[in-house]
Amino acid sequence: MRAEPGSFRDPDSRVFLTEDGAVLRALSPAGWEDWLALEASDTFAELIKDGRLIGTSEANGVRPASVPAGCAGVLRHERVPFVSYPYEWTFGMLRDAALLHLDILDRCLGESLILKDSSPYNVQWRGTDPVLIDIGSFERLREDEPWVGYRQFCELFVYPLMLQAYKGVPFQPWLRGSLEGIAPGEARSLMSLRDRLRRGVLTHVVLHARLERRYEASTGREVKGELARAGFRPEIIRANVRRLRKLIARLRWDSGKTAWTGYRDDNSYSEADADAKASFVQQAAARRPRELAWDLGCNDGAYARMLSGHARTVVAMDADHETVDRLYRALAEEGQRDVLPLVIDLCNPSPECGWRSRERGSLLRRGRPDLTLALALVHHLAITNNVPLSEIVAWLAELGSPLVVEFPMPGDPMVQRLLAGKREGAHGDYTREEFERRLAEAFVIDRQEDSPTGNRVLYEAHPRAA
Amino acid sequence: MRSLLAYLDAGTGSLILQLILGGTAAAAVALKLWWSRVLHVLHIRRRPAATESEPRQE
Repeated sequence: MRAEPGSFRDPDSRVFLTEDGAVLRALSPAGWEDWLALEASDTFAELIKDGRLIGTSEANGVRPASVPAGCAGVLRHERVPFVSYPYEWTFGMLRDAALLHLDILDRCLGESLILKDSSPYNVQWRGTDPVLIDIGSFERLREDEPWVGYRQFCELFVYPLMLQAYKGVPFQPWLRGSLEGIAPGEARSLMSLRDRLRRGVLTHVVLHARLERRYEASTGREVKGELARAGFRPEIIRANVRRLRKLIARLRWDSGKTAWTGYRDDNSYSEADADAKASFVQQAAARRPRELAWDLGCNDGAYARMLSGHARTVVAMDADHETVDRLYRALAEEGQRDVLPLVIDLCNPSPECGWRSRERGSLLRRGRPDLTLALALVHHLAITNNVPLSEIVAWLAELGSPLVVEFPMPGDPMVQRLLAGKREGAHGDYTREEFERRLAEAFVIDRQEDSPTGNRVLYEAHPRAA
Repeated sequence: MRSLLAYLDAGTGSLILQLILGGTAAAAVALKLWWSRVLHVLHIRRRPAATESEPRQE
């Protein structure tokens, strides 16, 4: 059993993972009392029933060995299929996670409960359904105390969403670089005079930053005391939560078109090529049931959808935010629940980061695939990103899973388009022979098929034993 | 006994802002807060020592 490295900030609640994959939460005496209050509430039953809260039960008799003395009780949680982070989500995902948080907060305020923090890291996904996983966030409400998580909500939800919606600037690099989010003063610096007229900016950003500075010297305890004496009450939090909900629900990001959003209609495949490719992928997918499949460079998710009936979870990754956001919205509308779309730049994937460089894990630490698709990907990595074929194959081998990979031939129109931007003779080693030689070093090639036009080759392979 | 302090720093400005954002529900509280500050500035009333909300007995 080991402590989850991302769960250490709240002294009343800490998560542990057992060898057999169970997720346990150890609670302090105060945390346990809060849990009992939550469990007895209608909110808990309702949230569990509609899937907005992670499945939770008391783990009677279980005591993680490394839990500090004073643990009052342990909970067992349902496991989420694949842990993801806000800096891998799309605009629509961050917005839906924010709405989930506010809806739960509004619901539990009615039963004298509150969420003591507002971290999007407490939200995970079952496909495109957001679910709150941090039972330890619920605590009994102190009637005269303001919403402690408001600033964190702004820093990690409101400002990143505004950055994307109002400025068209992607929030993911910022959240990846700053796990605490965007501070009010930073958000104010980003907003122009015109932006101050936009919904929510004057209050949640400008005034927020000004008050932060104005009351820098006061302590939270002093202010809380003053507010309590002035008669602060939960209705004020509720009014604020409902206004924030309206604000966030109205935020829109008009992503427009990118080179990738129209890829399905503008590519070098003939209809026969596309049919043959779909048939090849379907055969590989149907070979046996899988737990976790990865679709690398998923674009509109056509092949991820093909895997969905054969894998419990499909993580569909692409670097193009707009494309993944469209995929998220389409999957949500379709009611597709086993594909998780994520914004991942494969040339710069999510690293180990945070406290001791392990608070937030790399992709591989969060789950190894048992099937990987790398379709229409190799030429982009090799030519656009200048990654040698040997490196690409070594990286695919590191994943340790069976592989379906596509090699676009040098004469393929898309490859020619990519090469047109390079000097004459560049990428001379981008050949079928070189790719097959490298692939065969690390994988056993089970099957290969040339496309009807001869522009592309598909391989199904499994890793050689180490 | 319940922990006296939240593990998260709420930010003092953020706490005050909630009165402004609370709309009509917060108006009376905001007025009372400012009035007590005016009395304090005019040395009519002393600001009480800072106290955390009373802990709930378990």
